[in-house]
Amino acid sequence: MSTTSTEPTQAQLSDRARDERRLGWKLAGPAFVIMVLVTFYPILQAVWTSLFNYRLTNPGGREFVFLRNYQIILTDPLWWQAFGATTLITVVTVVVELVLGFFIALAMEKVIRGRGPLRTIVLIPYSIITVVSAFSWFYAFATDTGFIDPLLNKLTFGMFPADFDWFGGFWSAMVPICVSEIWKTTPFMSLLLLAGLTQIDGAMEEAAIVDGATWGERLRRVILPNMKSQIMVALLFRTLDAFRIFDNIFIMTGGSNGTSSLSLVAYNQTISRTEVGLGSAVSVLLFCCVVIIAVVFVKGFRVDLARGRK
Amino acid sequence: MNREISPAKQFWQLVATIAIIVYTVIPLLWIVNMSLKPTADRADGKFWAHHPTLENYELIFAGGAKDLFLPALLNSVLVTMIATLIAVILATFCAYAIARLDFPGKRLILGTALTVSFFPVISLVTPLFDLWRRIHLFDTIPGLILPYLVLTLPLSIWTLSAFFQQIPWEMEQAAQVDGATSWEAFRKVIVPLAAPGVFTTAIIAFFTAWNDFVFAISLTSDNARTVPAALAFFTGASQFESPTGAICAAGVVVTIPVVVLVLIFQRRIVSGLTSGAVKG
Amino acid sequence: MKFKFARRSLVGGAALALLAPILVGCGTNTSDTTLTWFINPDGGGSSPTGGGQAQLAAECSAASGGKYTIKIEQLPNEASDQRQQLIRRLAANDSGVDIMSLDPVVVPEFGEAGYLVPVPEKYASNFTEDRVQGSLDASKWKGDLLAAPFWANTQLLWYRKSVAEQAGLDMTQPVTFEQVMKAAQSTNKTIAVQAKRYEGYTVFVNALVAGAGGAIVENEGAAAEDTQLGLDTEAGKQAAETIQKLATSGAVGPAMSSMNETAALNMFSDDSTSGFMLNWPYVYAAMGSTEVPFLNDVAWTTYPRVDADKESAPPFGGIELGVNKASTKQDKAWDAIACITTAEHQKAYMLGTGNPASRKAVFDDPEIQEAFPMADAIRDSLNMAVQRPRTAYYGDLSTAIQRTWSPPDQVNPETTPAESTELIMKVLRGEALL
Repeated sequence: MSTTSTEPTQAQLSDRARDERRLGWKLAGPAFVIMVLVTFYPILQAVWTSLFNYRLTNPGGREFVFLRNYQIILTDPLWWQAFGATTLITVVTVVVELVLGFFIALAMEKVIRGRGPLRTIVLIPYSIITVVSAFSWFYAFATDTGFIDPLLNKLTFGMFPADFDWFGGFWSAMVPICVSEIWKTTPFMSLLLLAGLTQIDGAMEEAAIVDGATWGERLRRVILPNMKSQIMVALLFRTLDAFRIFDNIFIMTGGSNGTSSLSLVAYNQTISRTEVGLGSAVSVLLFCCVVIIAVVFVKGFRVDLARGRK
Repeated sequence: MNREISPAKQFWQLVATIAIIVYTVIPLLWIVNMSLKPTADRADGKFWAHHPTLENYELIFAGGAKDLFLPALLNSVLVTMIATLIAVILATFCAYAIARLDFPGKRLILGTALTVSFFPVISLVTPLFDLWRRIHLFDTIPGLILPYLVLTLPLSIWTLSAFFQQIPWEMEQAAQVDGATSWEAFRKVIVPLAAPGVFTTAIIAFFTAWNDFVFAISLTSDNARTVPAALAFFTGASQFESPTGAICAAGVVVTIPVVVLVLIFQRRIVSGLTSGAVKG
Repeated sequence: MKFKFARRSLVGGAALALLAPILVGCGTNTSDTTLTWFINPDGGGSSPTGGGQAQLAAECSAASGGKYTIKIEQLPNEASDQRQQLIRRLAANDSGVDIMSLDPVVVPEFGEAGYLVPVPEKYASNFTEDRVQGSLDASKWKGDLLAAPFWANTQLLWYRKSVAEQAGLDMTQPVTFEQVMKAAQSTNKTIAVQAKRYEGYTVFVNALVAGAGGAIVENEGAAAEDTQLGLDTEAGKQAAETIQKLATSGAVGPAMSSMNETAALNMFSDDSTSGFMLNWPYVYAAMGSTEVPFLNDVAWTTYPRVDADKESAPPFGGIELGVNKASTKQDKAWDAIACITTAEHQKAYMLGTGNPASRKAVFDDPEIQEAFPMADAIRDSLNMAVQRPRTAYYGDLSTAIQRTWSPPDQVNPETTPAESTELIMKVLRGEALL
């Protein structure tokens, strides 16, 4: 972006420019240095450690194995199982959140009476600690403390078992995990989408109404195309976020019945098993996945995150 | 939006509003009710607490779980506040420079912030744990604050950069014309204008740090353990009692102040959240 | 106005930032006489009068005449979480840990890693006299005495007299899993076991394998890659068969795969369905304190047999007390341990928490006999009890077992033991994720 609107003379510019340059880095430097130190240093360290067979409780047995940890991980069914579960959770939650978030955003834009309370209340899930949300849903679905089983049992006139063990199998355990994740993050999604909605030129929609377009047509022809970039940004943010899912699974199932996410696999190797070498390799691979997703979005879908920032 | 609204439309809007409100508050109401249920009622399968009691709150504030909960609460408050404060101060300088000054490397800084915010935090845990244990930062408050900056800095930089772009910079120029240096113009003119944005950023950064679980369970064991991590390892009043009641009560205690913050600063949070991510 | 608020909070925050190092300092800099004891949660919680480890800490502090003060820190509920918490501190050379309540299975791992100080000569006879054999075995690793036996645990078969009677099961004779299952099925009652994917499930699997005459690890103390596993054997198959039958019997409640000790106790406390339960002796005191209405209908006997012709192999548990290598107050710590593990304190602890003593003499005490009508059964069971595999890689081994044997209704005697063996070996060689 340009910084000054009035055109200074040549001599002033170089003087001011040097001044600005120095001040710029002086102001931005500390934040930059901290971010680099606390993220890039560890990731480089992780890359290095991942080349060793290294167990914390057996420091003497540390041994250089080059890429063997990666070979082990990529041929391990657990990795692919976790990869599948993580992908499933990511796709399901992001799609549901997009649809649900879009309708909530629409409601927030259109509803006249009660708009204030609506916008406020939608923020509640966003502000709740994920762990607390996980516990709340966990207790709601649990066979002993839960209200969901009795409720479903009543609603289906006894067809649904009153003591169904949601956490006893992979598919059923995915339900509470996804529900908690969706509940907690849909508001964020709907706020991003709302920002896109409000930017749509009202005149275009009016024109479409005058032309006799149905609501579905307006949605397809006017609303969605005009907020495409906001949708893509929201999708990118939430996809990357959902791919890192950890808290909900840790609290609800601890990864049993194949519900481990990639983050949980990394945690288990390093913290539970103290297999630092293997754990570092998982971390590096997870990092690569995230980079790939980001690149696909930014290059493939041309998500312009730095719009207006140059 | 000032067209006439038909009664049918009004009705559907009402339905939608109620549906959204129910969707939003049910888990919150549920955990509040769970926290009020006496042990005997916990498995009654009912949503509402029919014999509400405060015994679970007593447990975490005065009873057997107090040694687990109160230090964790103090740690959470300390770590989150300090991390937020540092992040917001550094981000304010950084965002000002990005929005206002012309210097090479601006895109590098923004790109870095973006990359960092996409980092899978678990990837940092392994190396940080190994490093922290060697330099004695494991299970200390600074040992949590540093990684929390990773969570809060990028977010703060983006949100604040967006805010700073909306500030009427003519006033700064006017000050500079009056002979003030860039620094003076920043301090005397821009800081007051930017304060609301800074405050909003602080709230959002606070939420993010307050919510962290991964760093907290991996880099602490009890001296610096924060509430989310403490909840995951809560023990009941004794070995025989499941910690359910204590967890629910503690969950409510750490949720209520944040919900109140949200209710008060709703408008600002919405604009902060969306400007950082979208308008950026 | 809002800006003013922001500025004030900035100032407040800055003050906090300045304060932080002082607060942190306070956390780690304890005085020379304060010993920190990491305890597993017991019935006494953190109350100095609750009858648990916290009370022993307070009493021994007082008895030391100012020589030391014991401060307690509670570990999480589950054994694997306890291990994780400790191992992270030990790996970080944290001198803030002096005394640790150790699950028997972590002694080999911590010992191998050099985290534990061997018991000094002058305490050795005190710590080994009059102890049940299981506790002695659990406190040693590769010939060194690395911990002091504190209390010893074993599981009993708890049952409702009325249910056994109704089913016509003679409880005076050793019973088998088969018989218990049939009795529960015929009376429409439940058997409460632990089969959630956690440490308690390994305890169960180990007891079944040992009860069928096998051993999960056949050469204890071997290096990781040389470990000989005894799972893919007749005994392993028989254990898998027992779990499979239980899981599909319809007598284990609706959520067998999420049952831990507490859930088992809750299920057994439900008057309408309670029939049988495998659990530790603490449940008796617990049922007393929650005023279970049918307490006089509750009885106990030795752990069921897997094979009608083989003695049963009840699980062994309990706690040994170890001292951290990085502790700067080791002498005081051993002194404190000597105080905590006296016969008198073991008796008080047993009365207070229901956790059985490791000293044999305690079981003959009249007060104990009165409070624990099953004291003799516990001592007998402790004599028969079988350790879980003793290996420095126990954590990995246990997780691998839990993974391959979960969920219980998917256990297949033909494939599970072999799969389990394959995974454990891979894990031990560092060639598989967990």
